Amino acid sequence: MMELRSTLAGRIVLTAVATMILLFLALPIVVILVTSFSDNAFAAFPPDTWTLNWYKALFADGSKWPAALSLSALVAALSTVFSLIIGVTAATALVRSELPLRSAVFALVLGPLVIPQIVTALGLFLLFEPAAMLGSPIAIALGHTVLAAPIAVLILIATLRGIDERLEDAAASMGAGRLTIARRITFPLAAPGMIAAAIFSFITSFDEFYISQFLSSVDTVTLPVQVYNSLTFEIDPSVTAISAILIAFAILALGLVALVRWLGSGRQGSLLSVENTAGVANPGGETV
Amino acid sequence: MAATLTATAPAPPRKLLASRRTRVGILYALPVVVYLLVLFVYPIFSTLFLSLKDTDGALTLHWYADALTGVNLSVLFTTLRISAETAVLSLVFGFVLANAISRLKPLWAGVAMLIVVVPHFISALVRTYGWIIMLGDKGLVNETMAWAPGAPFQLLYNELGVVIGTTSMMLPYTVLLLYGVMRGVDRRLLAAAASMGAGRVTIFRRIYLPLVAPGLASAGLLSFILSLGYYITPALMGGPNQTMIATLINQQVMKENQWNGAAAQGVILLLITFAGLLLVKLVTSLGASRRKRSAS
Repeated sequence: MMELRSTLAGRIVLTAVATMILLFLALPIVVILVTSFSDNAFAAFPPDTWTLNWYKALFADGSKWPAALSLSALVAALSTVFSLIIGVTAATALVRSELPLRSAVFALVLGPLVIPQIVTALGLFLLFEPAAMLGSPIAIALGHTVLAAPIAVLILIATLRGIDERLEDAAASMGAGRLTIARRITFPLAAPGMIAAAIFSFITSFDEFYISQFLSSVDTVTLPVQVYNSLTFEIDPSVTAISAILIAFAILALGLVALVRWLGSGRQGSLLSVENTAGVANPGGETV
Repeated sequence: MAATLTATAPAPPRKLLASRRTRVGILYALPVVVYLLVLFVYPIFSTLFLSLKDTDGALTLHWYADALTGVNLSVLFTTLRISAETAVLSLVFGFVLANAISRLKPLWAGVAMLIVVVPHFISALVRTYGWIIMLGDKGLVNETMAWAPGAPFQLLYNELGVVIGTTSMMLPYTVLLLYGVMRGVDRRLLAAAASMGAGRVTIFRRIYLPLVAPGLASAGLLSFILSLGYYITPALMGGPNQTMIATLINQQVMKENQWNGAAAQGVILLLITFAGLLLVKLVTSLGASRRKRSAS
């Protein structure tokens, strides 16, 4: 009885503290979403009156936001393409081939994810400054790819590991050529993972700040750098609106990844179902 | 003759296949290796060379001497202090939250995990701005605490503000790592201890804690390492006493054109990071051997 009561009290305290910590994570985001519709955009919460003015101001004449937004979109699109090319080839090499120095290659891929981004940014600055490439969208995209490609590689490694190689073997045994197998079997099964890799590469580049700041020039400013500048130098209330848009964008992208995963999860199962109805043991365990 | 033929015949094709797979592997690994060598490894080495080069091109260590004296040294200590505070807080919060989530029913655990993971994919700048709105004199926190004596509290532009900000950035990492560790604990060990009459506190201290300790240590170290290079939150939520090393590197490059000094500080930051990663590796292998022992 004593034991039971102490667990119950313990549970209530634990739940309360855990809820506080969850609020600690979620509130800064909720506050921005609410404040972006508030008449008094600065540091007053909850708002007294509501408005859409900050969103309208984003696209008013002389606003810096449209240029920053389109530059960031361009850079992120380029960086997504680079990351996918690198990601697909690297994941194939690491999962589906005999690669000498495999662990060294893997360590190289992980490098940019563990090393402080400011160091990577400084190195890229020293590389692109002598080449007079500061402010070039290509240079910024190449820099972002250093961070985005490893993420794409990791996602695609997991994707390729999840594809049952016997499906490809089966196709080969029935006379399918390499290209046919890639086009008809591997690609459709890997598509959800590739879409996820593309979305995460895009977000990584779109939100990247350190490299952008080091590689930007006065007239080429990416969206995060513009947000940072408005928070430090100029007072621009529409920064709440752009922040809210960035939040909505991130949540939308994550939702898209979840949707693609969910749609793709049935595919391999339908291909393997013949084998399962035939009662053949599945050595992979929970492949389906 | 026939026997040797059949025995050796399969060897050449298999060898051929292996070398083909090797060639394919090298070919497909080339893009990532070349890309990262040119745009990641080479720039880091040129940072290293620059940090060792005097203005006249001679070899020197005086950029390091500069980086480790006076104001620069105190910035380094501030960086280590704020990172340590962040690591401890995100470890404690992360432990409590991961523990609570691991006791929830799957549906609620999923919802809680979503609240942990989604913020991680939202720009750190945006989340920092959210904190600035919340912690201001008229922000949500001070408005709800208005009844308290001494309100409004100064929650911004000091160390408290910075640590609140960085802790919320690191928390998703520690929660995810610790949740994984806690799910990996063999519940039968706890049940066995209970069946032999051990109390809750004893089980927690003698069985549970030793099993999760290596995970705790590596999660703490990782959030320490990741905080070291932080720039956005200290710059926006801190005061002049919370200048961290990344801010200094940025200032030297952007405002003072002092690349060599920035390079030396970058290398110092890199070396501390490597030392931390080495410790993580050590702790992880220690944990693996301990788990093996407890399982046997």
